[in-house]
Amino acid sequence: MTDHRGDWTQLVEEALGISSFAIELSALSERELPSLIEFLSRERRLPFRYISVHAPSKGMTMPEPELIRLLAELPRWIDAIVVHPDVIKDSENYAPLGRRLVIENMDDRKGDGRDASELARYFDALPQAGLCFDIAHVASIDETMARGDEILDSFTSRLRHVHLSSLDPDSHHVPLSPRDAERFSPLLDRCRDVPWILEAPPPNG
Amino acid sequence: MGEPGASGALERLSERTGEEFSNLRAARELAAAKQPDYEAQLAELNHDGDSSIVLFGSWARRELTDHSDEDWLILVDGTQRKVVAPSVDEVELVLGVGERKPGRQGTFGVQAFCNDIAEKVGLDHDDNTNLTHRVLLMLESVPLTGHDIHRACWERILDGYLQEVRRDERPPRFFLNDLVRYWRTICVDFVGKQREADEKWGTRNAKLRASRKVLFAGGLLPILQCFRYNRAAMREFLVDQLSAPATDRLAYAFLEWDIPDPGARFFDAYDRWIGLLNDPEVRAELKAVNSTNADDSTAFREVQGIGRDLDRGLLALLFDTDLEATSRQYGIF
Repeated sequence: MTDHRGDWTQLVEEALGISSFAIELSALSERELPSLIEFLSRERRLPFRYISVHAPSKGMTMPEPELIRLLAELPRWIDAIVVHPDVIKDSENYAPLGRRLVIENMDDRKGDGRDASELARYFDALPQAGLCFDIAHVASIDETMARGDEILDSFTSRLRHVHLSSLDPDSHHVPLSPRDAERFSPLLDRCRDVPWILEAPPPNG
Repeated sequence: MGEPGASGALERLSERTGEEFSNLRAARELAAAKQPDYEAQLAELNHDGDSSIVLFGSWARRELTDHSDEDWLILVDGTQRKVVAPSVDEVELVLGVGERKPGRQGTFGVQAFCNDIAEKVGLDHDDNTNLTHRVLLMLESVPLTGHDIHRACWERILDGYLQEVRRDERPPRFFLNDLVRYWRTICVDFVGKQREADEKWGTRNAKLRASRKVLFAGGLLPILQCFRYNRAAMREFLVDQLSAPATDRLAYAFLEWDIPDPGARFFDAYDRWIGLLNDPEVRAELKAVNSTNADDSTAFREVQGIGRDLDRGLLALLFDTDLEATSRQYGIF
């Protein structure tokens, strides 16, 4: 889903081809954010029930308060703004995002925000923030997936949506493998009421 | 049945998931604390042998806040007559005083007769008021006096619904249809009221998204779950379920169908709603909202989000559990 990176209209079309239920528009690099903001400001509302924006996590040069000001001004119909905990410098800066702020658990390449104990301080500081549960990131830190249960046990009512994919050896998101589908199943059962964002094309797609 | 019933299910869900639902807990405690005072005051009034004073709404749902209305009826287990003791004037001195006054439609704050409520089902004589009395008596009513009278009428309505059940292990369709009719009626009437005047649009809209949806779902889930029982056990199950607050019935369903996590998120959302209802500024803001300025209201947007969270939990319960086949079979036609 990165072939048309930055072509927001095309990306929305592609997403609609899979489901009109939920979408996440990712400006993973900070330089992608202005065009996403411009695209969203032109739209009255996108035709999805749940709309998430992934905030930048790479190439970050903007002062944190300035970035958050831009995110806070995203249209009101954006339901969630996903932030990686390792880019948070000062949690208090993020308070203006309120309930739209959604913090994602990290993979094994990151030094923080990977499990329940590491996420706790962010949620303590941001009581309105929700959880984006990246199940492949859990698998990268714990083959048994037990730490996924710990995250869901600790932040049950904060869960807003799921990121679903497998990871390749370089930690890139790839289509869900049969093995992962099986071992993720008990955790996904606990998340059946929230949107699942596919971070790679569906296995048969 | 031996298994835990509906009563106390919210507490069991709280224990299972570690979520506190502190606003809901406080609302229940407030209702329990205030009710004996009303019961004592109303017991002083002269009562006919067939009358009962009954509260509805947030009182009966055990969702009482400092700002809740008091919707009440003098329920008479008999046919219509002009003079009933206690009188409406006497009860008005105790219930619905000041801003707690029941709505202006005349649905509450009046006398109602069980023969009408239980017997006039369907056709033209079953008007909106009669339908409302019947369904709300079943789903959310609590007697303050004349407990036996209330119970007799309540069972008479229930047995009237179950009288039409012809087969075991099927949801009672007559009851289901009356419930769905009520829910769709209040949704349609919302637009009817909007067209007459835009007053209280925001409050009414918010209540449809939250309290009234929970009320409807709190009837729908017990009815659908009847597919597990024969006719005799079905009655026992419904008596247990409908004697508990709607929130307990829904918590029971989330536990029974083994999706406690979505249940926790559902009640976290509903708990936020109860918290908003307890905030005078939010209530004032919702009261001022109308169909043209709703997008500018922070409080209204918060309620919209709560409504979506409630939908997601209920849809998971109805369509992502083993209830799915019954929900599909009975939910639409």
